[in-house]
Amino acid sequence: MVDAETDCLQVGPLGECMPTDVENWKSEVYGNEIREHLMEFAEEGWESIPEDEHDAWFERFKWWGLYHQRNGQESYFMMRIGTPNGVLKPGQTEVVAEIADEYARGPAQNPEFGDGYVDWTTRQSIQLHWIKLEDIPEIFDKLEANGLSTQQACGDSWRNIVGNPMAGKAPEFVDAWPVIKELNETFKGDDDHANLPRKWKVSVTGSPDGSGQGDINDLALEPAYKEIDGEEVRGFNVRVGGGLSRKEPRLARDIDVFVRPENAADVAGGISALFREHGDREDRYNARIKFLVDEWGTEKMRRVLQEEFVDFELESAGEDIREQYTYNAGGEEHGDLIGVHEQRDGNYYVGLNVLVGRMGADDTLELAAIAEKYGSGEVRISQRQNVMITDIPEAALDDLLDEPLLADYSPDPHPFMRGSVACTGTEFCSLSIVETKNRQVRYARWLKENVELPDGVADFHIHLSGCTASCAQPQIADISLRGMKTRKNGEPVEALDIGLGGGLGENPQFADWVGQRVPADEVPGAIENLLATFEANREGGETFREFIARHDEAELEAFIEPEETSYTDPYMHNTKMTWYPYAEEDGMDASPAPTDGEGNSIDATPADD
Amino acid sequence: MSDRLLSVNAYTTLDLLEGEAEAHEFTESAYAVVNATAPRKNPDHVKLELELDNAELDKLPAHADRVRLTPEQARTIAADLKKYANRVEDNLEDEE
Repeated sequence: MVDAETDCLQVGPLGECMPTDVENWKSEVYGNEIREHLMEFAEEGWESIPEDEHDAWFERFKWWGLYHQRNGQESYFMMRIGTPNGVLKPGQTEVVAEIADEYARGPAQNPEFGDGYVDWTTRQSIQLHWIKLEDIPEIFDKLEANGLSTQQACGDSWRNIVGNPMAGKAPEFVDAWPVIKELNETFKGDDDHANLPRKWKVSVTGSPDGSGQGDINDLALEPAYKEIDGEEVRGFNVRVGGGLSRKEPRLARDIDVFVRPENAADVAGGISALFREHGDREDRYNARIKFLVDEWGTEKMRRVLQEEFVDFELESAGEDIREQYTYNAGGEEHGDLIGVHEQRDGNYYVGLNVLVGRMGADDTLELAAIAEKYGSGEVRISQRQNVMITDIPEAALDDLLDEPLLADYSPDPHPFMRGSVACTGTEFCSLSIVETKNRQVRYARWLKENVELPDGVADFHIHLSGCTASCAQPQIADISLRGMKTRKNGEPVEALDIGLGGGLGENPQFADWVGQRVPADEVPGAIENLLATFEANREGGETFREFIARHDEAELEAFIEPEETSYTDPYMHNTKMTWYPYAEEDGMDASPAPTDGEGNSIDATPADD
Repeated sequence: MSDRLLSVNAYTTLDLLEGEAEAHEFTESAYAVVNATAPRKNPDHVKLELELDNAELDKLPAHADRVRLTPEQARTIAADLKKYANRVEDNLEDEE
């Protein structure tokens, strides 16, 4: 029924006119009300969700960090725990490990990782899989009793706020943690910012290394200084409209605003409100604020922000310190937080490499124990899927470095191990075209055994994403890999598009896509050939990124020489058509899903024999 | 080479086809992606889109083509596709 005044089919909770479908689902029952329904379904079990309402409910469950897993894995959920800035307080890592151990187990095992594992994500959050609806009440109780939450870790709202995970401890130009904390407390769960046109990704960095990766976020606060009334004020420059997904990656753009830390929440809230009011609600594919910045330009964005969404005079941009950025920059220094680093209080933090971000529950428990034994018990998660143990006294470093766990999660890993990032892939994700994590593990191992990096090349970043959604942030890596399919020996096989020379730093740049549909088993050979070409043609001590930048597209295309090598790939078949890529009987009809709360198959139709 | 234009993920209708672009002066062939979809909100048309892998194109710039269809038009195409699918299948079976 059309509203007579507004000519609107559906007037939303904030008085706005809401288009149909997804917006409708959101308007009927949204935000905190969803929890009640979720708990009811959990009590009554999977089958209590009406089948014709599955889509609607799965969309709503995203408010609570629950993503229904893909075809063949019905009734299982991925659960995302949002940890602002990737901070796990003492005791919390243990809780995560225990939940993984008890609840993140499914009907089959991953040959590389077993089951009951924890995924550290590229937004400094935590993902667990194979979660049963029926276990949600217990899981939420346990999480919330320990200060952890899954609220709005997904959906059209403020996503987990990222930054330098070591905010407050590593040397910083300006303190980011108080701002992150304030933003999280003010906007997460706030009704006015709970129903945005699309996801809202915020990064706040105070350190000079650029490790918050602000350039790929919708809203970035980056360290800056400005002389105001004769005094040097430290605060943040504001950039808006970064984002990787779909086909249109964008860097966050400078809107000529400097903000003091104490005003950061007002300005961030103003931009979020601007997005709420002006973002495209008609076309989800045009909804991210990056497209609004494209359309309006930065001057209009600033003007509208000033006129309609903040009630004080905005300062113009200050001086940034981007020339100091090293994180993911493809420069001469390490572009990550791995290794032993001094904190500003004289203690140390140790960054450990977690290959493709996945850690077994046992190992995670061990990590918690070590953090407790040597440090304060605190653990932090980085956007490269790695973890940091904080607050280690200098005298304890040697003993910590001797711990057996660090043999598997090294503070001094080989560049190929260190540089690997991979998304979830066809193992669980309904969007992915190819298998990712196990593949990248095999790539990293083979490259480490078989390929030498040229002298002085300390880092080599390879990011593998299963599709164009770009969750593994492929566009900002030395080598970007993105899932596709091709034909080999007449058969469809998994393949990867290849991009080169991406990176952040002072002058961020997205990768050049130079190879399409390279069979997945020929990619290591292509990388080997590429590195040989780099070594042979390298000028002086130029970095890989510099080398790529000085060649044109035609030259770069020629650098990609796919080749079969001793590398073998067990996932060449179309893994998205399996119910689980590693199951012995992997056809869809062999799937045990959906299952009840105990994991027993629910027979949809009676057996036919 | 440029980045792909069409998003390609597990929901894309077909991601591995043999495609061809014909111009007066030339013909180019490449692997192709075809997708049928409709807007998630307020779906008021069916979209049929096609992209040839630009890595394999020499003459044509990277591009994706799409047409907007009414439900009737979409069904007309579906019917024709089905008809020709049957015809091809019958012929291939005869050949065996």
